[in-house]
Amino acid sequence: MISCQTYRASLTAGTRDAALLEHLRTCDACLDFSVEVDPDNFFRSIGGSDLVPPGGVDAFVGDVMRAVQVRGKETSMAAHHPLSWRQRLAIAATVAAGVTGATIFWQHERQPSAPVAAPIARAAVVPAPAKVLATKPIVETYSRNATIVEVPSEGKVNVVMIFDEKLPADL
Amino acid sequence: MAAELRLMIPTKETVEPDDRQLVETIRGGDADAFEVLVRRKTSKVYSLCYRIIGNSEDAKDISQLVFIKLWENLEKYDPLYAFDTWLYRMVTNVAIDFMRNKQSRDNAVNSNLRLVKTSIDADQGTIVQRKEVESVFNTVSQALSPKQKTIFVMNQMEDLSSSEIAKVLGCRESTVRNHLFNARKLMQQQLRKRFPEYSRLWKEEQQ
Repeated sequence: MISCQTYRASLTAGTRDAALLEHLRTCDACLDFSVEVDPDNFFRSIGGSDLVPPGGVDAFVGDVMRAVQVRGKETSMAAHHPLSWRQRLAIAATVAAGVTGATIFWQHERQPSAPVAAPIARAAVVPAPAKVLATKPIVETYSRNATIVEVPSEGKVNVVMIFDEKLPADL
Repeated sequence: MAAELRLMIPTKETVEPDDRQLVETIRGGDADAFEVLVRRKTSKVYSLCYRIIGNSEDAKDISQLVFIKLWENLEKYDPLYAFDTWLYRMVTNVAIDFMRNKQSRDNAVNSNLRLVKTSIDADQGTIVQRKEVESVFNTVSQALSPKQKTIFVMNQMEDLSSSEIAKVLGCRESTVRNHLFNARKLMQQQLRKRFPEYSRLWKEEQQ
């Protein structure tokens, strides 16, 4: 380390000289002088030297290496389960939605289509065979205003209805 | 034969691998090389953390976190750049994040605490005591934003130039100089307010 005399003779404001900075940070006798020369030296005086973490470097390095090993194990365990919990949740939700949808569709398909008549009237009527009621009308639209509704049945006669706003009412 | 034998004997002058070579070895799967790197950089990382955070236990935790992040992100390091610049960037990012969270917590708790030392005559000459400077710094630097404090510490205590700090933080040099200017101004204001015995140091600049 340079002498106090040399230091005081060479110190200038804002110095970046390593030897001067070393003296600034170690010599208590020159501290007041240093701050008189450059007020920034007030805080610069506490810098420089490398500090040691509490417990020492060995303990610190040991802690870091243990933490890294734990992380490594976690990573390798995660590698056995390539799907994250979010992905697994998304897959479960998709499967559940699919099963629910299929069940609803299946139930809807199996239900006989409800007759237009009131429930009381329906009770009086002998229920028709499910096969006939299960038949669906075929709806075709051939222009903007006209629609053909064809209701097939097991018999030879098909009921065909044409809805067209442009056709005369007495047709 | 003797020469061959002599060449096989390891000498004390064995050149230690530099940081880039160590990183390459670690990437090759050598965990021992990582331990060497941690040991080599511990003091540097801890010192910077301590000066930014101002608390030894927090600084230790943050330093450990930095090394864990280093381990996890080592693949991203580009050997074209200086390793220390990359490491310092990691330290400053983690420390600034910690400071921001801490600041918001402290503001919520201590919003009404404003300790001002007024008992000492401002004109009274005071001999600067080194051990006191650190506590003064920790007090007055609370007025700085985490980024301002980080830049101030790197410039004044770690002796990094504005251009080096700009590289570490990934910003313009003018931004660094601007932060430094504002940090100095705030520190002086806080010194006058809280430590009037030291305000004489900046009298010339006040005028």
